[in-house]
Amino acid sequence: MRTILTTAFAALVAASGALAEGFPDKAMTYIIPFNAGGESDVSARYQQSEWEAVTGQQVVIQYQPGAGGAQAWSQLNSLPGDGYTVMGINMPHTVLQPLAGSVGYKTEDLTPVHYFHYTPNAIFVTKDSEYQTLADLLDYAKANPGMVTFAGSGSNSANNLAAVQLNAAADVITTYVPFSGTGPSITAILGGQTTAGFNYATSGVAQGDALRMLAVAAEERMPAFPDVPTFKELGFDIVGGAYRGVAVPASASEETRQAVSDIVSKINAQPGFVEKMESGGFVLTDIGYDKMDAFVAERVEEYTAGAKALGIIK
Amino acid sequence: MDILGYLLDAMTPFNLMLALVGVILGTIIGALPGLSATMAVAVLVPFTFTMDPAGGLIALGAIYTGAIYGGAYAAILVNTPGTPSAIATTFDGFPMAKRGDGGLAISLATLASVAGGIVGALALLMLAPPLARVALAFGPTEYFWLAMFGLTLIAALSVGNTVKGLIGACIGLFLSMVGVAVVGGDVRYTMDMQRFLAGVDLTSAIIGLYCVPVILDLVASPDPHLSPSATGGLRVMEGARHALSRWGNLLRSSVIGTVIGILPGAGGSIAGLVSYSEARRTAKRPETFGKGNPDGVIATEAANNATVGGGFIPTLVLGIPGTPPDAIIMGALLVQGIKIGPTLFTTDGNVVYTFIWGLLIATLLMLPVGLLIGRYAYGFIIKVPKTLLAPTVALLTIIGAFAIHSNVADAQLMVGLGVIAWVLNRYGFQPSPIVLGLVLGSIAEQGFVQTYLIGNATGRLPEMFFSRPISIGIIIAALVTLLFPIWADWKAKRRAQMSEPVADEGTTIAPEIKTRDLPSIGFAVAFIALGAVIWTGASGMSMLGSVFPKTIGAALAVFSGLLVIQHLRRPAAEPKPRQRDAGAIRRIALGAVMLAWVFVMPLVGFLVTSFAAFAAIMLIADYDRPPLRRWLIWGLTGLLICSGFWWLMANVLLLRMPAGLLF
Repeated sequence: MRTILTTAFAALVAASGALAEGFPDKAMTYIIPFNAGGESDVSARYQQSEWEAVTGQQVVIQYQPGAGGAQAWSQLNSLPGDGYTVMGINMPHTVLQPLAGSVGYKTEDLTPVHYFHYTPNAIFVTKDSEYQTLADLLDYAKANPGMVTFAGSGSNSANNLAAVQLNAAADVITTYVPFSGTGPSITAILGGQTTAGFNYATSGVAQGDALRMLAVAAEERMPAFPDVPTFKELGFDIVGGAYRGVAVPASASEETRQAVSDIVSKINAQPGFVEKMESGGFVLTDIGYDKMDAFVAERVEEYTAGAKALGIIK
Repeated sequence: MDILGYLLDAMTPFNLMLALVGVILGTIIGALPGLSATMAVAVLVPFTFTMDPAGGLIALGAIYTGAIYGGAYAAILVNTPGTPSAIATTFDGFPMAKRGDGGLAISLATLASVAGGIVGALALLMLAPPLARVALAFGPTEYFWLAMFGLTLIAALSVGNTVKGLIGACIGLFLSMVGVAVVGGDVRYTMDMQRFLAGVDLTSAIIGLYCVPVILDLVASPDPHLSPSATGGLRVMEGARHALSRWGNLLRSSVIGTVIGILPGAGGSIAGLVSYSEARRTAKRPETFGKGNPDGVIATEAANNATVGGGFIPTLVLGIPGTPPDAIIMGALLVQGIKIGPTLFTTDGNVVYTFIWGLLIATLLMLPVGLLIGRYAYGFIIKVPKTLLAPTVALLTIIGAFAIHSNVADAQLMVGLGVIAWVLNRYGFQPSPIVLGLVLGSIAEQGFVQTYLIGNATGRLPEMFFSRPISIGIIIAALVTLLFPIWADWKAKRRAQMSEPVADEGTTIAPEIKTRDLPSIGFAVAFIALGAVIWTGASGMSMLGSVFPKTIGAALAVFSGLLVIQHLRRPAAEPKPRQRDAGAIRRIALGAVMLAWVFVMPLVGFLVTSFAAFAAIMLIADYDRPPLRRWLIWGLTGLLICSGFWWLMANVLLLRMPAGLLF
């Protein structure tokens, strides 16, 4: 009797395993909570070109921009939780937005299953700028409080946070000027409208020689920019940027969450994908569903401190 | 010349077919308000992964340029810009169609779009790297003044009614502030409702503000929607002769369109508005603009299609996309492993130049394709009975507003704004200033706050605002536009004093009755209250986020106060005998059906509510009491139209349709 039960149980486990392996058996939808052309879109397009090879199914990318992503995130849990609809998710956005005001969702309502990369913050000046190093820029900022202007993407964003962190770490006063995205803020730097910019390292690739990167907020030097020092090397403990991942609605089962996480992990290991991402200035991370709780908790702690510095919370 | 060699690459049969199919698809999608080039391009990107890069790009570019052109149809035929780029096309296109010149308007729009598209594409082909510098020369200050320049068009659009125009603009500016602010990050005026977080969507607002009043008027009288034209057809030769005689307008508008297209974030709607404004200023009889002057259509359509080529300049040279479709096409290029940037034209010249030639070919293909589709679209709108036209247009408005974000809230907002717009329009508050405020609000605000931040930090605030060369040029242009109508008005009055008054033919805007108007005073008082609410609502915001709302709140209150004073000083009107508006009941019924439609849809499902509402509107719009047999045919047609659009949205554009309880 016992053996029969065990066999039946094993068969059941095998059957449910087979079910998970059958996922996905139709095209999936991948919602990007931003407009096309940003880092979230580009990295998702890179994933899309590998998606079919990894899963056997296509993925359709849709854009649902609005309110810096909050529009889409606040609707995530009303979507079906069968795993066929997934959504891009970003940090620090999903931590800072609920702290800043009522945006229709809370950080803990969202279910990220994989954070697959981040784009480190970096300081840029134009190639003709008189500032050759971060030290040059900071010396000027010390001598002229407030005069150094940084163009960046959005208020209460990763860029804004980095600018505030730099002010505290280097004991200077600079002015952060928010623009409506990476594109407009890079335009402002290239056009000499601001002294410098706090943007993502990816812009360094896109703009090539037109911009000079003074420092990058990564743990170690990036393969795409071997000559650019990290803030850490220069004595400032600033590491960070925007983390991007994939989330599912809260109604998704544990198996579904794991299955989506596995798909993203597998794509992260495709050589073609790695090559495109790294040469594009993205830093790959492999934070799967099993490591998610610890990762989110750590970030929430860091960004809550950041929110105080930004003046979002007292 | 190497560049010419790539022309042959672009002319392979496969590439030509891609361009043709792309233009046809784009034109149709653009003609349907709410279905946008962005949507079509986004869905089609994965197909280009397996294609030869140039071919894929040609298909995407053809859809894009076709969609910008297609927006003119809806603007001319039902007063609804199919895309925001065609906003200014409605100003003269619809009055032309109303009086029976719709075919001519379509011909002119087609010719102007082709001309503008060619100028834009040629600029991209030959001058891209130097022109990209224009994008860099435009800083926050210039964007701010450009938005101000756009707002001066209100003075021209509401001659004799300026105060109401200014109030409308303030309302539009207020609507543009709703949601999460880009600068400051404040959550503004959402009344804690999740639906307002992303703000008032421009496309659903223009569908509501322009199209719902048209449907309401459509059912209110048995008169045909458009006057039947004398000759039928599109009057292509007449259009060509007219367009050629206005080559100055064509060229000027195309250049304006190209330059504004280069500015990331400005886009086709602003290009259309600015060149419309310039065409009006330089015209011999500016007072005919807004009443069906063909030159208004030419200016807008030339400019908005020129932005397509112009927009690709910063996209390809700087990697900074000018518009959302540009951004998606840039993403497609990156996936193909093509590095965007200054070296693109040399390293991947074969792809880029083949693509640009393909874009030029697609633009030329718009001429036959457009005239053919235009012929059918115009014939359809003229011939189809009101009983079918009204519900079909209503269905399109709801589909369009919904499709933008797959969100019923947008459709609800659209209908709500539309009903309000109709009421306001009845009392002299026209929709165009509101739309202008909504289009330009965020650009003006961001430009202003950024300029302020930079100027304040560097201690040269006045210089930042007033002494940058390009800014000075824009300020002068704005002042000229602002003062010109006043001067023209004064001149016209002098002329009128000397000669007998001439009857104005085809006037659509009723001249204001210069007597005291109690409803206007009532609205003004309500707007003063709104201004106060805007002001107090701003007190909890960050410094950056509250500057603009306070300014707009104060301006709204001041202008409304002016309106009250203006009316109190006028003589009281003779008490008029109350006239019963025969169409009022039908209007109210239609408004109620449309409101019920969008609020019941998420509960019951898209198809069921659409069938029911379609049938109800057919009854409301019917004046002929036809036999049962015809009712059956119409009913069946309605069923087909609703299901067809549902299928298109659910299976081709892959939108998530509201399913509700039934289907």
